Amino acid sequence: MADTVTEYTIPELTPELQRGPVWLRDRRRAAREAFNALPLPRRGLHLWRYTDPSRFVIPPGADAGELNGDFAKVADLERRHLADGRLAGVVTDRGGREISRVGLDEAAGLGVVATALSDAVDSHFELVERYLYQLVNSETGKFEAMNGALWNDGIFVYVPDGVTLEKPVHLLRAAGGAGTAQYPRLLVVVGRNAGLTLIDEYGGGSYDVAAGQAYVNAAVEIFGDDDSRVRYVALQRQAPATASYLTHRARIGRGASMLTIPLVFGGLLSKQNFGVVLNGRGAESKMYGLLFGSGYQHLDNHTLHHHAASQTRSNIDFKVVLRDRALSAYTGLIRIDRHAKTCEAYQENRNLLLNKGTRAETIPELEILNEDVMCTHGATLGPIDPLQLFYLRSRGVPENDAVRMVVSGFVTSTLKEVPDDLRERISDFVSSRLEGL
Amino acid sequence: MSDAVNRQKSDLSALNEDYTAKYGFHDPVDYFHKGARGINHEVVEMISRMKNEPRWMTDIRHEALDIFLSKPTPQWANTEVLDEIDYDNIYYFMKPIEHQGQTWDDVPEYIKKTFDRLGIPEAERKFLGGVSAQYESEVVYHSMQEDLKKQGVVFLDMDSGLRERPDIVRKFFGTVIPSNDNKFAALNTAVWSGGSFIYVPPGLHVKQPLQAYFRINAENMGQFERTLIIADKGSRVHYIEGCTAPVYSTDSLHSAVVELIALEGSHIRYTTIQNWSRNIYNLVTKRSTAHKNATVEWVDGNLGSRLTMKYPCIQLVGEGARGEILSVAFAGHDQHQDAGAKVIHAAPNTSSRITSKSISKDNGRASYRGLVKIHKNAVNCKVSVECDALLIGENARSDTYPTMEIDNEQVRVEHEARVSKVAEEQLFYLTSRGLTEDQARLLIVNGFMEPFTKELPLEYAVELNRLIELEMEGSIG
Repeated sequence: MADTVTEYTIPELTPELQRGPVWLRDRRRAAREAFNALPLPRRGLHLWRYTDPSRFVIPPGADAGELNGDFAKVADLERRHLADGRLAGVVTDRGGREISRVGLDEAAGLGVVATALSDAVDSHFELVERYLYQLVNSETGKFEAMNGALWNDGIFVYVPDGVTLEKPVHLLRAAGGAGTAQYPRLLVVVGRNAGLTLIDEYGGGSYDVAAGQAYVNAAVEIFGDDDSRVRYVALQRQAPATASYLTHRARIGRGASMLTIPLVFGGLLSKQNFGVVLNGRGAESKMYGLLFGSGYQHLDNHTLHHHAASQTRSNIDFKVVLRDRALSAYTGLIRIDRHAKTCEAYQENRNLLLNKGTRAETIPELEILNEDVMCTHGATLGPIDPLQLFYLRSRGVPENDAVRMVVSGFVTSTLKEVPDDLRERISDFVSSRLEGL
Repeated sequence: MSDAVNRQKSDLSALNEDYTAKYGFHDPVDYFHKGARGINHEVVEMISRMKNEPRWMTDIRHEALDIFLSKPTPQWANTEVLDEIDYDNIYYFMKPIEHQGQTWDDVPEYIKKTFDRLGIPEAERKFLGGVSAQYESEVVYHSMQEDLKKQGVVFLDMDSGLRERPDIVRKFFGTVIPSNDNKFAALNTAVWSGGSFIYVPPGLHVKQPLQAYFRINAENMGQFERTLIIADKGSRVHYIEGCTAPVYSTDSLHSAVVELIALEGSHIRYTTIQNWSRNIYNLVTKRSTAHKNATVEWVDGNLGSRLTMKYPCIQLVGEGARGEILSVAFAGHDQHQDAGAKVIHAAPNTSSRITSKSISKDNGRASYRGLVKIHKNAVNCKVSVECDALLIGENARSDTYPTMEIDNEQVRVEHEARVSKVAEEQLFYLTSRGLTEDQARLLIVNGFMEPFTKELPLEYAVELNRLIELEMEGSIG
């Protein structure tokens, strides 16, 4: 396994990274300088309480390497979904090498753009220059600065005002094998009164801990203009020896609605941070998270709902299922600004621990800066209710099946929110994780 | 004057002589007045010498000072306010008599007004205002002391405790809160003075609550109190500290350490109500250890101060132990009540309940910061945490930072929090019954606080209700 490196500075950016317009080169350089100047996050800060930041410092010399996406099966499935009209298109992101697109003709007809970020820097320079780095940048943190300097490619999605794309667009993101590093980035701009569903799937990585870890450091920025409706699904199913860091921030305007669904299954170590800023009156955000950890997985997730405008509403339901020796650390913050009046915010974190040896940490947090709010949060944690098992067994259900039934009941409300073409796969993930319990 | 006080005074003067002889200062009293500000090993040595402490305690103090000096200020806290503290500009030790340095005129107007409104007797006012070092309730105190002594209960201030029962103190001091626990616990260990020392012998149920209020010396309200309570097997004791009336002090930093040890099958309840004046940083470490089948209850009320940081903790180390923490915070204008609760489940079949209620008014900020930790071997534990926050005023702020670390699956953990303002429909209902809006709001706030007040002895509950009434009127400050 590669040694953990605590001191690492990004060397001078390669000519390839310095290509493109001057503004981009300047921002990349600024991000590089910020990364080199910033200290590692302090363990004393609660967001790093359970995860050692030095594990995300990428060993010098790691580059993109051979990418593996494990996408063959998915691609077949997606081709079928495209054929029977359940999907608008697929964009496969294999880092700087290639961004391939399938379908999307209908979407293009409506003016929807889904393309390589490096192309969009030219083709949609006004939008990209205006929005890129606005929400995830060096002020967000050291590792965000790292992506800001080093993203080698990414995807740009744009939906013009008034356009609604009913079918989902599926993004597939590859990672490299042992000892490689990837910096994917996503920028999404959804216009006024427009609608979009995105499935953002992270796969690939290193399969062999002995051979070394693969590193992924991703950044996602989503902008929803007034009255827009965005559904965003982040599916983490990276290979078992992958360390991955992801920061997601979305900002939505007046009357807009946003649904975020983090589905966390993969990787050995992953730290993900999902945040929505409710920036206009009447905006509404919902998050339904589902995490299933097994083996020695260390899964650290943070959610943020930041109410920056009045009459905004938010709801988070983050569900965790753990078995073997897996660890989940969940911190969720609801922040309500001083001038954001009559807001409603709810948050719930439920943890189901299937055997001894699992660990769950949960910190649901509130920061409320004005009185005119309605805010609750709750967290529960425990094994499968023995009474439920007893009931099922008394009906003749074998114990293993009973456990399955209880777990699938536990995750049902989240699966209901997952777009149709993905639901079956997620439900299969859950079942396969329950094997041999 | 009682014998006890006279004896103490003569002890002190004897100590002074010894000190003069040892260090050659001409006028140590003058030294205190002129500027023993700041802290270093000499100050610590001097404190220990003046108290004529055994060497092992002096060594503990020195070691703690090194820890204090080397530990950084906690970064997770409200560092903006914490960094206001100028450690070099603080007196770390004053002889009781020097607390009388100020006059009644120095006591701020809002404190005097509150005394008036609460109907605090003249003698107590001076004491609470920091003018008089003593509050003359000697007779009551004395007869109670006699009674306790007969039963074998030790109830002393901590300095006397160390003198009279060094065996017990040495065995338990710093075992629940070691000096390297945190910066402020280290500071307290280095310079502690006063506080209560209680030992309850096996099987004894102390009928009446023990009140620090009746322990008559100025160290009662000391800056760096150190309290140690030991309930031996099967015993039962209720300790009450503080009072609802605001306590004024010119010392801006208060940092107490309270250690409770509940041995097998015993029961300790510790009730605190603190209402410091608004110049005070109140940074307290309170922790207890509950052994097999023992119960510890913290009832903790926080009013006043500029910043309070206080998270009473229960370590459930014996099977079947139980812990309960009931905490209330009222953050008014410019105040930050950073309070919370911690429970560590380190043994099977343990249970705990945390109930926290906070009110933030004007630009006040109330934070709940908690920890529930369940260790791997602690199976069949039950935990329930409930946090309610009420916001009054447009700029009020409420934070909730609960942390739950669960290392095994055979447990039940529940956490709930609610933040809201005074409900319009409740106000409407009450005003439609003829109450003014202020009366209605007060009634709602009192109702919100009731689960706490009903756990208090009557006179405290009455005083607390009146105090909240004053705070709600905004007539203080």
